[in-house]
Amino acid sequence: MEYGSIEREIYVEAAPEVVFEVVSRPEHIAQWWSDEASFEPAPGAVGELVWGEREHVAAIEVVKAEPPRLFAFRWGHIGEDPLLVTFELTPSGTGTTLRLTETGFREMGWEAAKLEEMYRDHVSGWDHYVPRLGEYVTRLVSAS
Amino acid sequence: MSAAVDDELWSAIGDPTRRRLLDLLLADGSGTATGLSERLPVTRQAVAKHLAVLGRAGLVRAMPAGRERRYRVDEEQLARAIAQLSAVGAAWDARLRRIKRIAEAIQQERDQHRDRETQ
Repeated sequence: MEYGSIEREIYVEAAPEVVFEVVSRPEHIAQWWSDEASFEPAPGAVGELVWGEREHVAAIEVVKAEPPRLFAFRWGHIGEDPLLVTFELTPSGTGTTLRLTETGFREMGWEAAKLEEMYRDHVSGWDHYVPRLGEYVTRLVSAS
Repeated sequence: MSAAVDDELWSAIGDPTRRRLLDLLLADGSGTATGLSERLPVTRQAVAKHLAVLGRAGLVRAMPAGRERRYRVDEEQLARAIAQLSAVGAAWDARLRRIKRIAEAIQQERDQHRDRETQ
């Protein structure tokens, strides 16, 4: 089965070591994602991401931790297929390029990123039919 | 947090032929299985099956038109599918912006600390 994925890249004006700490340590994850995070940032470690008064709880399992280059984990809400998140860090100038990939997305043979691209920029991603759908979507969005 | 996504909707829109069908219907306003199959490299039967999948997901609606049925895109449902997709991506954009802000603040703090020590 084909897996969908989301890919993003962002430049951070900080050393890879610093960025690695931020993406991999539970105390930082609790700042940028969940309300609470508890796990050891080591391969095989299992823990939890918690939102609110445990209104939402997701399991997290560290898959790879190779400071300061790579951090990967699986996460998912109970009863859902887990998603694989990979952070790749590359030194770039005085900072770091941080690349995010989230895969396993719904297992629907669908690239979420592709539709988004179209949705945002009218980029022709699939074939010549796409630009028209893109314009339509933009109309919908601007109308809402 | 993951956005709640309707799996049926995603699977309906996940197929390239069905995306083409949606696009043709959007461009033309409406269409029949016969008319659509003439513009795609697939049989009328295949088009009818794809339209049925889109119909079950609520993405198209059928009206009787003579011996055939005429299909239209349900714009609200399509907008909903797109909003769900963009919500997932937007969630990561927001997380990455926060990661950037936190990491840059830590870096600045360390740089200032180092500057003080070397002075």
